[in-house]
Amino acid sequence: MSADTKKRRPVPNIAQVRKSGRGISRRTLLRGAIGGSAVGLALPWLEAMFPGRFAQAKAAALEPIFGVFFWANGLPWHAKHGEAQGQGGHPDLWTPADEGPGFTPTQLMTPLGSHPFSVATGLEPKTEVPGDPPGQGDGHMRGFMVTLTGDRIKPEGFDHPSHTLTALRPTLDQYVATHEDFYGAFPTRFRSLEIGVSSARFHDYGHWNNISYNGPDSQNPAIMSPTQLYNLLFDVPDDLIAVGRRARLLDVVMDDAADLRTKLGANDRDRLDAHLDHLSEIQRRLELTSGTCDTAPEPPGDSSDLLIKTDIMAELLAVALQCGLTRVFSFMLTSPATTHVFTNLGVNNDMHATCHAGEWEQVRAITDYQMQAFGRLLDRFAATVDPMGDTLLDRACIFGTSEYGEGWQHSVKELPVVLAGRCNGNLNPGVHVREQGGNISKVHVTMLRALGLETPSFGWNGGETSEELPGLRA
Amino acid sequence: MVSRTYKHLAIWALGTAVVVGGCSGNTPAQTSEGSSSTAAETSETGTTGTTGESSGTDDDTGDPPKPFIPGDPVMPRLTEVQYRNCVESLLGLGLPSLPLEPDTNPYLFYNIGAATTVLSELGTQLYEESAMAVSGAVFADEARRLTLVGCNPEADTECTLNFITRFGRKAFRRPLTSDEVDRWVGIAEELAEGDPWQGLRYAVAGMLQSPYFLYRVERGEPDPQDPTRRRYTAWEMATRLSFLLWNSPPDDILLAAAESGELLTTEGIEAQVERMLDNPRTRIAIQSFFAQYLDLSRLDGATRDPEVYPLYTPSLIVAMRKEVELLVDDLVYRQDTDVRQLFSTRNTFVNSELAALYELDAPGASPIAYVPVELPEDGPRAGLLTLGAFLTMNAHESYNSPTARGKYVRERVLCQEVPPPPDDVDLNLDPDDSDPKTLRETLEEHRENPVCAACHEFIDPPGFLFENFDPLGGYRTLDNGFPVDASGDLDGVPLANARELAELLKGDTRIASCMITQLYRHAIGRKEVFTERPGLKHIEGEFADAGYRFGELLRAMAVSEAFRYVGDEEVLP
Repeated sequence: MSADTKKRRPVPNIAQVRKSGRGISRRTLLRGAIGGSAVGLALPWLEAMFPGRFAQAKAAALEPIFGVFFWANGLPWHAKHGEAQGQGGHPDLWTPADEGPGFTPTQLMTPLGSHPFSVATGLEPKTEVPGDPPGQGDGHMRGFMVTLTGDRIKPEGFDHPSHTLTALRPTLDQYVATHEDFYGAFPTRFRSLEIGVSSARFHDYGHWNNISYNGPDSQNPAIMSPTQLYNLLFDVPDDLIAVGRRARLLDVVMDDAADLRTKLGANDRDRLDAHLDHLSEIQRRLELTSGTCDTAPEPPGDSSDLLIKTDIMAELLAVALQCGLTRVFSFMLTSPATTHVFTNLGVNNDMHATCHAGEWEQVRAITDYQMQAFGRLLDRFAATVDPMGDTLLDRACIFGTSEYGEGWQHSVKELPVVLAGRCNGNLNPGVHVREQGGNISKVHVTMLRALGLETPSFGWNGGETSEELPGLRA
Repeated sequence: MVSRTYKHLAIWALGTAVVVGGCSGNTPAQTSEGSSSTAAETSETGTTGTTGESSGTDDDTGDPPKPFIPGDPVMPRLTEVQYRNCVESLLGLGLPSLPLEPDTNPYLFYNIGAATTVLSELGTQLYEESAMAVSGAVFADEARRLTLVGCNPEADTECTLNFITRFGRKAFRRPLTSDEVDRWVGIAEELAEGDPWQGLRYAVAGMLQSPYFLYRVERGEPDPQDPTRRRYTAWEMATRLSFLLWNSPPDDILLAAAESGELLTTEGIEAQVERMLDNPRTRIAIQSFFAQYLDLSRLDGATRDPEVYPLYTPSLIVAMRKEVELLVDDLVYRQDTDVRQLFSTRNTFVNSELAALYELDAPGASPIAYVPVELPEDGPRAGLLTLGAFLTMNAHESYNSPTARGKYVRERVLCQEVPPPPDDVDLNLDPDDSDPKTLRETLEEHRENPVCAACHEFIDPPGFLFENFDPLGGYRTLDNGFPVDASGDLDGVPLANARELAELLKGDTRIASCMITQLYRHAIGRKEVFTERPGLKHIEGEFADAGYRFGELLRAMAVSEAFRYVGDEEVLP
């Protein structure tokens, strides 16, 4: 369905008051409407019914945004990553020489331009590495899981050919999206969006072309197709009565699920319970008359060029954030251990193999290119301004990171950390914090507190910390 | 530096009695065990100690055979292909095909991913949208909806009830309970709003979202002959057979065979298998199994620099996969012969691109026409492990990976498990060594370093056998300007090249047991548990007696107790 022929639903929000299935649902209202004659629901009537709700919805539009920008295979290695890397004699193009406010961005940060961002350097995982079972020390997995979950991988062993790698707990995007204080009683249409650009995957880790998890074996697959993302965001059905029927139908589907639930053992019941939760969420989404965009962008193209595709996906994401469709996202440029072949940069082997082969200059070129993509996402956010004059970047806290420090030795020392955006004034841009050997979860604590989420501590299995990084929060 | 013990490096041979030396420090094999293990739990085997209680199998010791004890039930969600096949079976062809959640393939198989992965929120929404789209398309067409429903709900008061009962039986692959009939008739009437067709449309859309449609619920029932055991019900057997043999839901005949109880008997199952194997769907389903078992998806999208490999084109990569499909189809269907020949036969099928790669004359071949050829007796190639697909998907873009090729031989062909590199080991070979040499010479360093040698002694020697083939599978005699040495060995048997490996594999019993293990995992949607191995051993005997014909393996598996019995998992209160 094309954007211009489609009628957008008006903004008024009826269903938001249907807190967790209690309260009054739009379905109830629709039934009344269908039974009678009036189908168009007049706004003043609703305002009379629920005073104060609309003011609240307006205020919600300016609440903070949290996002993850992920790129694969870390940084070009240098001496700070370890002794072996030092023998290569390669310069450090990432760590700024000066610390504190007003630091000078380094060569690899240049693509981030003049956008507000801070960096933290020297950090590493502190999760314990037990000798048995093996695998906890693997750079990709240990680094990835700890940067995005604060914990170890699951299984707590390395089952190499079996493709079973998964997370023990939610990744940071989901931690925020499901935190009771982040959305409160009024979640947006989507609690989060997961977006991917390169679909290259690393086969030995099976289905690990994804960075968003709810817990073990529970992933939120990234949407890789611009058209699919566009349809999800903007091709929202606008026949309220039909939508009401669809929502009602889910009650019956959930009755079947509740019946099945009584016949299952522990594992399958957990899976079915997750499915049931999702059905409730889909039902809520169907009943939500607000949280749609009044105007949709043009239907998107597609591209195999990562920068162009980043632009396409970033534009859709920016509109979605601006319209209040969501406030949490993950943006996976490339997946961990990516096998993407950057032929456009004259690199003939896949990136993971290129790292292993010790091709420093090629890794430098690829990292620079990946930072250009990050920069273009920030460009789009900076160019998206709301009527009050605030940009998305003013509201956002974007955690830019990768799965380890560098890919030659797969060292998890010196993890790359970028905090982009002002987070509604709660983050100080332009700061470089260096803590050599520091706990990566201090970044998590910092961001979560900047988002207004009470965080006494974060991290598990040896990675716990109650400290934040100094100077980053305003 | 590495300062840990290597007991975890034990190589354990899945589905075989073989304990491999070299990479193991001679630690006894670790295997999964315990009938209460689930797929998720068994994924962690090999990590819980090294007491060795499970080393070897009974036939090594002369003890009486151990009994087969089935593992717990699983609840696979339909894979994407299965979902689409179900929709087609229920509603017909030509309906909208909306995106669905991507499948995952832990342990190589989509059915295992389907049984372990949790559906995402987006995936749930995609099911909702798909159900609305396909039901909407059918009911918008007056002729089509009448054909589907079989009666006119506007004229016939029994029509809704009859349709729901009939459609539900097919969608849920069992009769509906009376509560379910009430539930779905009720919603059809509620949402009709004066238009009973509309009500039926929503009921169809709802049933396509029901977990009873989307998941295969197979919990079994007490076996009347031995109530301590649980057998799959006749309805569950219909579903199991049809997804195994067709990757599709049961047809009306199979459902009738379930209803009559036929599928509770060996004879009844055999009769249905006989019928089903003749259906073209089986051919597609077998291809799907082989593609997963042989890990062929790794080939998709493989690229090479055309400057270096002038024969490379994306269509050549597609042809490599097609070649394997034709070869499998030939062995399984046209010849109906010993399927283990896959790894040794000199017969194959080439189009003009593959003929050029293999330097063969292939009259009649064109970019789209594949012709059967016999690979030269004195040539370098015989069997899958000398064909483009294997050689390409186990190489880097610009250089070979004897390690990946050797690992494939160990893991995919022989079902042995190669452990990961030890934590903290330097994974890279000295890059600053400026002496020019072959890749093989560089990799020899793996075996000079004792830390690496433990496993590379195990992986690399079979991998070196393929050094006569470049990263695109073309034949070569030079690497980096130096003569290629393609000698190696398998488990201590010295071999000159890949042709000799193919000869050796002809007599390797591990190939058949590996294939059975993989087919079983694919069939049941999880890894086998240790106590199911005797059941697989039994199937292996039947497979051998039948001359290793794959159709007979399917038949043997379909009637086996390993496929018909299930553990008694505790139902949560």
